[in-house]
Amino acid sequence: MAHVAVPGAGPARWSWLLLSFTRRELATRYVGSAWGFAWSLLHPLAQLAIFAFVFSQIFRVAVPEGYGGASYVAFVAVALWPWIMFSEGLSRAMGSIGANAGLIRKVAFPHRLLVYSALLACCAIHLVGYVAVLLVLKATGTPISLLGLPVALVLLIPYMLLAAGLGAFLAALQTLLRDVEHVVQVVLMVLFYASPILYPASLIPRAFDAWVRYNPLAWYSERMREILLKGSGLVMGDLWWAAACVAVFAAGLWFFNRLSPSFEDFL
Amino acid sequence: MPETAPLVCLAGVTKDYPKVSTGGDRLRTLAGLLFRRKELPHFRALEDVSLEVLRGQSVGVIGENGAGKSTLLKIIAGVVRPTRGSVRVDGRVGALLELGSGFHPEYTGRENIHLSSALMGLSRGDTQANLQRIVEFADIGAHIDEPVKHYSSGMVVRLGFAVATVMNPELLITDEVLAVGDESFQKKCVAWLERYLADGGTLLLCSHSMFHIQTLCRRTVWIHQGRVRMEGPSFDVTREYLTHHQERTAAERKAAQAHAASVGVMRLEDAWLERPDGMRESTYRRGETLVLQATAFEPDDRPPVLLFGVVRVDGTAVYGSHSNENGFVPARLQRTRFAWAVSFDHLSLLPGKYIMRVHVLDPEGLRLYDTVEREFVVTGDTRDYGVVELAHRWLPGKDAEGEPRAAAASHL
Repeated sequence: MAHVAVPGAGPARWSWLLLSFTRRELATRYVGSAWGFAWSLLHPLAQLAIFAFVFSQIFRVAVPEGYGGASYVAFVAVALWPWIMFSEGLSRAMGSIGANAGLIRKVAFPHRLLVYSALLACCAIHLVGYVAVLLVLKATGTPISLLGLPVALVLLIPYMLLAAGLGAFLAALQTLLRDVEHVVQVVLMVLFYASPILYPASLIPRAFDAWVRYNPLAWYSERMREILLKGSGLVMGDLWWAAACVAVFAAGLWFFNRLSPSFEDFL
Repeated sequence: MPETAPLVCLAGVTKDYPKVSTGGDRLRTLAGLLFRRKELPHFRALEDVSLEVLRGQSVGVIGENGAGKSTLLKIIAGVVRPTRGSVRVDGRVGALLELGSGFHPEYTGRENIHLSSALMGLSRGDTQANLQRIVEFADIGAHIDEPVKHYSSGMVVRLGFAVATVMNPELLITDEVLAVGDESFQKKCVAWLERYLADGGTLLLCSHSMFHIQTLCRRTVWIHQGRVRMEGPSFDVTREYLTHHQERTAAERKAAQAHAASVGVMRLEDAWLERPDGMRESTYRRGETLVLQATAFEPDDRPPVLLFGVVRVDGTAVYGSHSNENGFVPARLQRTRFAWAVSFDHLSLLPGKYIMRVHVLDPEGLRLYDTVEREFVVTGDTRDYGVVELAHRWLPGKDAEGEPRAAAASHL
């Protein structure tokens, strides 16, 4: 028989579709541009250059003791890429349903794959950039702990699950309420400056202690520095945060799956 | 697998689309969805539709634009969840609701095949193994390696359908996919669908082409304003559907005629079918004589050209001719009014339902001004096949060997 059998709705079928979505997501960023992939890597580099110039040359912020004598560039870079993965991944995951409205209206498939693929593509691009920057920093004399690199990558998993959970929640909400997108952009900008990414958590006034303690962005930024610059291993707090992230992911996905059959009504 | 097992079973399916024109509506709907409250502002796309499709059946879905056909197919395909009612589909579904919907405009056709087939549920290996067959079926030549954004809509459809041909769904759902392709590609698709059905496949075909419905589907469902208006053998349902449209067109025509009279445009005043004795009639026995009578208004008082065409109710053209063929001049009833009659002696049409189309053209026979249709039925018993009886004689035959080849050639 010339025909092929179509596998059932098993995980094998969807994993291939997820891979295809992710590939397409990646390709949309470089198709038609001469430098292609390089732009995705250059963007965070430019951000880093601006922050480095403004804060170390103009405001002359000094990196506090205890970060192994890392330069301000290294200090920011270590926390900047995880933040970009989180914020860009969140935004793209949120927009993935609207961006694929045509598909959702015409083809039956699990819509969450779109959220995952948006996030996966984002992580793939920025992980390449992150590792490259860390290696360059290491080569130029910053004491990056190479042993810490796999630990940092493990730590990124719950962080990205948090982004996926929030992204799924917001994507579903965004489908019904178009205002969500605008609110999220503002919130992300506030979060960026309100979290210890450009500065150490120790500089935050005591009055905002709770904010630092219960802000996952603060936690993961600080932890990335501790692991990569100080050579710290995993601690108990990582487990709690991982549990919290998984819980957010599950809740976000529950909300998404609850509304997902109705997406077609609103797109 | 028993032939009679229902593959699709819909019971009392209702689909409401939420009305979300204002922000408040959206918030209310969101709350309703989360807390499973009913009664939200909505409009009803489908109401209480029950349908059963047996394994190996081919079912057509017809109806006007906006009747709910696409919503019905989407519900069966699993793209839309019904508001009420149950849907059961026991098999792999291949849905072609819109060909090429998974295509990325910047990708080449070849690259798009991968994502498109992944969406249809093909594995990576299956796609690789069948890539060549997909490319051959699409038959768009070197364009396969160009970005899809440079494709014509017909080419996109070709590629989309080609991807579908390599999967082997138990149920294939197609929504008006044949309409865009050109003649030869349509034929190719119809041939493929016929083979798919012959191999035991089940088909749900939505189309506005009664021809496709009649050739491919044994049963047809007519969806009208969200409800099943009629269900049965394709021929019966399509005939009723066409009649319904004729009646609607006739009502619109009356209004248009009144308008045409007021502005003085050439038009057919009336056309009717009658017996030689002048009795108006719409049913004729085979072999009887049918007379077509027509009167027309021509504001410049010049004799217009009349054109008639006989078609079978399914749209098959039987015969047509026009009055300036041999310089025929119609009767001038009075100033600006003309009349024709066409007598069809010994009607040789086989029993069935037919339509007499009458058109009026300007005196030069160039521009068509008006059209009127009259339906008629030919009755009689026959064991012949086709549309019309051709004059023929039966003779005793002979052996092909008996005639020398040279002699046969010399006749040519």
